Amino acid sequence: MIQQTLADGLVLGGIYALSAVGFSLIFGVLHVINLSHGILVLIGAYLALTFSRMLQIDPLLTVPLVMAVLFVIGYAYQRFLIQYAVDRSRLGSMLLTFGVALMLQNIMIWVFSPDMKNITPSYAFVSFHIAGLTFDAVRVSALAASLVLLGCLAALLKYSPLGRVIRATAQQTLAARLCGVNVRHVYALTFAVSAAFAGAAGIVIGIILPFSPADESMWTLNAFVVVVLGGIGSPAGALIGGLLLGLASTLTAQYIGPAFPNVTMFMLLVLMLLVRPNGLLGNAFSASR
Amino acid sequence: MRRRDVLTGAAAAAIAGSARALPAKTLVFGGSVPLTGAAAETGLNVNNGYITAVSYLNELLGGVEIAGEKYRIELKLFDDASDPARATTLIQRQIDDGTDFFLGSFGSNIVLPTAAITERAGKPMVQTGGGADAIFTRGFKYVFGMYPRATRQFVAAAALFKSLQPAPRTYSVIFTNDAFSKAAADGVKLSCNEAGFKLLDTFELPQKPTDVSGVLSSVRAKTPDILVCVMHDQDSLLIARQMIATGTNVKLLFQGLGPQLASFREALGKYADDLMCSTYWDETVPYKDKFFGDSKQFTQYYRSKFTRPIAYHTAGAAACILTYVLAMQQAKSIEPRAVRDALAAADFETFYSRIKFTPQGDGDALLLGGMIGQVEKGKLETVFPVEARTASALYPARAWDVKA
Amino acid sequence: MKPYAPLFVLLCALLLAAAPGVLPPFYVRVGQITLYSAALGTAWAIPGGFAGYGSFGNAAFIGVGAFAAGLTENQFASLSPPLALLLGLGAGAAACAILSAAIAYPILRLRGTFFAIAMLGVSHVCSELNNNVDALQGSLGLNFPAVTMANLAPEAFFYELYLIAGLAVLCVAWLIQRSRFGAGLLAIREDEDTARMLGVPTERYKRIAFFVSAVLTGLLGVIYAHSLGYITTDSVYRDDTNLNLVVFSLLGGMGTLFGPAIGAFLLVFVTQVVLGRLLDFHLFATGLLLVILVLAAPSGILGFVRTRTRRRSAMAPAE
Repeated sequence: MIQQTLADGLVLGGIYALSAVGFSLIFGVLHVINLSHGILVLIGAYLALTFSRMLQIDPLLTVPLVMAVLFVIGYAYQRFLIQYAVDRSRLGSMLLTFGVALMLQNIMIWVFSPDMKNITPSYAFVSFHIAGLTFDAVRVSALAASLVLLGCLAALLKYSPLGRVIRATAQQTLAARLCGVNVRHVYALTFAVSAAFAGAAGIVIGIILPFSPADESMWTLNAFVVVVLGGIGSPAGALIGGLLLGLASTLTAQYIGPAFPNVTMFMLLVLMLLVRPNGLLGNAFSASR
Repeated sequence: MRRRDVLTGAAAAAIAGSARALPAKTLVFGGSVPLTGAAAETGLNVNNGYITAVSYLNELLGGVEIAGEKYRIELKLFDDASDPARATTLIQRQIDDGTDFFLGSFGSNIVLPTAAITERAGKPMVQTGGGADAIFTRGFKYVFGMYPRATRQFVAAAALFKSLQPAPRTYSVIFTNDAFSKAAADGVKLSCNEAGFKLLDTFELPQKPTDVSGVLSSVRAKTPDILVCVMHDQDSLLIARQMIATGTNVKLLFQGLGPQLASFREALGKYADDLMCSTYWDETVPYKDKFFGDSKQFTQYYRSKFTRPIAYHTAGAAACILTYVLAMQQAKSIEPRAVRDALAAADFETFYSRIKFTPQGDGDALLLGGMIGQVEKGKLETVFPVEARTASALYPARAWDVKA
Repeated sequence: MKPYAPLFVLLCALLLAAAPGVLPPFYVRVGQITLYSAALGTAWAIPGGFAGYGSFGNAAFIGVGAFAAGLTENQFASLSPPLALLLGLGAGAAACAILSAAIAYPILRLRGTFFAIAMLGVSHVCSELNNNVDALQGSLGLNFPAVTMANLAPEAFFYELYLIAGLAVLCVAWLIQRSRFGAGLLAIREDEDTARMLGVPTERYKRIAFFVSAVLTGLLGVIYAHSLGYITTDSVYRDDTNLNLVVFSLLGGMGTLFGPAIGAFLLVFVTQVVLGRLLDFHLFATGLLLVILVLAAPSGILGFVRTRTRRRSAMAPAE
């Protein structure tokens, strides 16, 4: 039983990790708490649903398409809206994203109806057994997709010129500007990348859970917890935080009571903040303020 | 597509208003529906039901006649976003504006505070969205519910379980932690224990579960004959999907809400077969009224207005308005007090069901307690009560891998 | 503060107290929500605005206060209504006092965003525990005895109750603002480390401010629960409340005495009165309003007014 619980926790954790990484990046680089993160995740899920129906393909194959769309949305969102609030106050920019989240939630209700939707891939009901443990195929493929995408993001940040510029801007905004970095552009690109990964997370979530526009706050909150547990601004931090959260919630569900995962989740959040506010891996970019 | 639905409905009502020489007098129904937030899906179904009934009565019947006068019906609803503070304030505005009759919101924590206000003002409220016992045990005189209170909603299902062969002996309950599901779970235990079944396990899930693998491992370790899930439809879907994927089999899976929705059955495909659920209405019910005729015609008219699949909440909502009209005709008055008395004495037949309230105001547990449906060959069939059944119950259900 | 200000406030209070006599009940209810929000916002601002410790989790105290009161009152069902209310207020305040005292030390070691998030966590832990521990009746819901007087409409009764509570909170905030303690809080907001170096007992000050705010919020939660008559966890532990409290101060002016009240009035008026009749796009409209406000008046209404007047007075000598 314990092995099964641990395995379930790790699978769930990988998915939490992907869903939080975009939030983490924006927090780390722009110092904006993006309360519209959950909405971006849901947009990803709805787009995947639409595209996979339209093109008659597996939902996981829509990843590039969905990410491209959200990349554009994210870029425009930062450049034309958040940029105007980002330098003023932390609270102001947060409030702005909250306002946008409300608007987008309402728009989603108009466009997609308030109904719960779900993406059912052809392998939705398949499961396999390894060493006495049961895994269901959707969750495992979701986990695989999450790990691959997280790896891609880590590589992007570490090795690509864009990643270098993002890291430089996050560490020393002024110095980067002096070196000729167009900070606004970098901010917008960071936001775009984050939105794209939020969208990808939406696809993964969409194939394992039913979703509806009202779920957005749940995914924002989850991202919060994951980031605080793992550390800000890095895919590795998100991964650690996600896995920890996944394990904590399945273990609680099994041994304390199925109603209590959220309690442990937020207790962990508070405890972690008290013990190590920067998360297990610390802030990837700069000291916390 | 929802917005368009709402707008076409409203537009149709408006055209109806202008095309015919309509009666000058209007009869206003106020209240709120949650069109945003967690209950938005049901909120929309309820709202569409109101619109269907009102535009049919206005457009096709040219209004309703009460005590020799013709009235046009007008709806004045607002979005309460499931926020009690907002709902109570805005209900008060409608009372101030002189609205005499109210339709209810969804969720007991909204319905009860608003009902307290309408009760004090002496205005009736007929609602489909508040089932918590607390609403009906406070001595309210003006509040009527279209469903039995939460703890009485499982009487019918327990009766069905008892009639199954070979007789099931044990059951387990899974419920989510919200006011409605929790009370309903208590109702399940009450009714099932009374019927002589043995409770193996009770699983309490958080209000919004994301993973039930742990619960399912426990179910596999200690398997009941009947597994009862009381929760909202999207959580039911999560459980069903994970049960299939992990090969968790029980002789009967009963899900309070879920399988009655077309989208739910579509999502599960062949696996939806043999699932059982409560259903309060579908288009085959045998009841008749003088407005729509029967459920077929109601459905037909609904489909001419909306593209959205019809749900029992839609019919229930329409029935609220018909109940009001019937009560007014009975009372020969549109005076709130007289209408209230007529509602309390109601024994009407509408296309939806026979309408009768208990002295406390909730729906009669046998008449309005709903039916039991089972998915058979992809279609939802009514299996209980015997008078309304379209197929007989299948038990034990086939294992998931047999259905594949 | 100018000498005539207290007089002015007193006059306003008298006018407000007379309002239910002339206003239609709907506006009394709007007033009720406004006063409730304003009081909550002012209580939030004691650590939030003055000391810069803005919390995202004050709904925790609303909920804990409300449930503590309800559970206690239901134990003593035979009490007369006013006594029951008093008992409830006492129980709510006590529960919030214990909770805030227990978490104050660890949680106030965090600063800025981290403090805010930790409080959000606290609010969710309270809410989940309240919902999932059966004895607390959070998911089944809790009934509150009717405490209104027979000859007074409930909306007017609660309006006056909120008015008294609101004035009390405002008074506390005002006393704090003009005291040495308030100056200490301000120093903490501007630069906590320097303040401590200069001998301001920052730890104690922060804790007191946090404690006072929690107890006041709890008391308001008790009144709120009574005005609804039946609550579940969803009625009191609301994330939109958590955020709105921040919004009130941001709208009105962060760190000012009247800012939160002005912000609360504005937001309540717009969402309940102006947008109240909207059926299917009030969420959109509310969101849009927030976006516009953040972009147009980043330092709140009071800040906006102040910069305008300052600019004008700066220009005056040149003419």
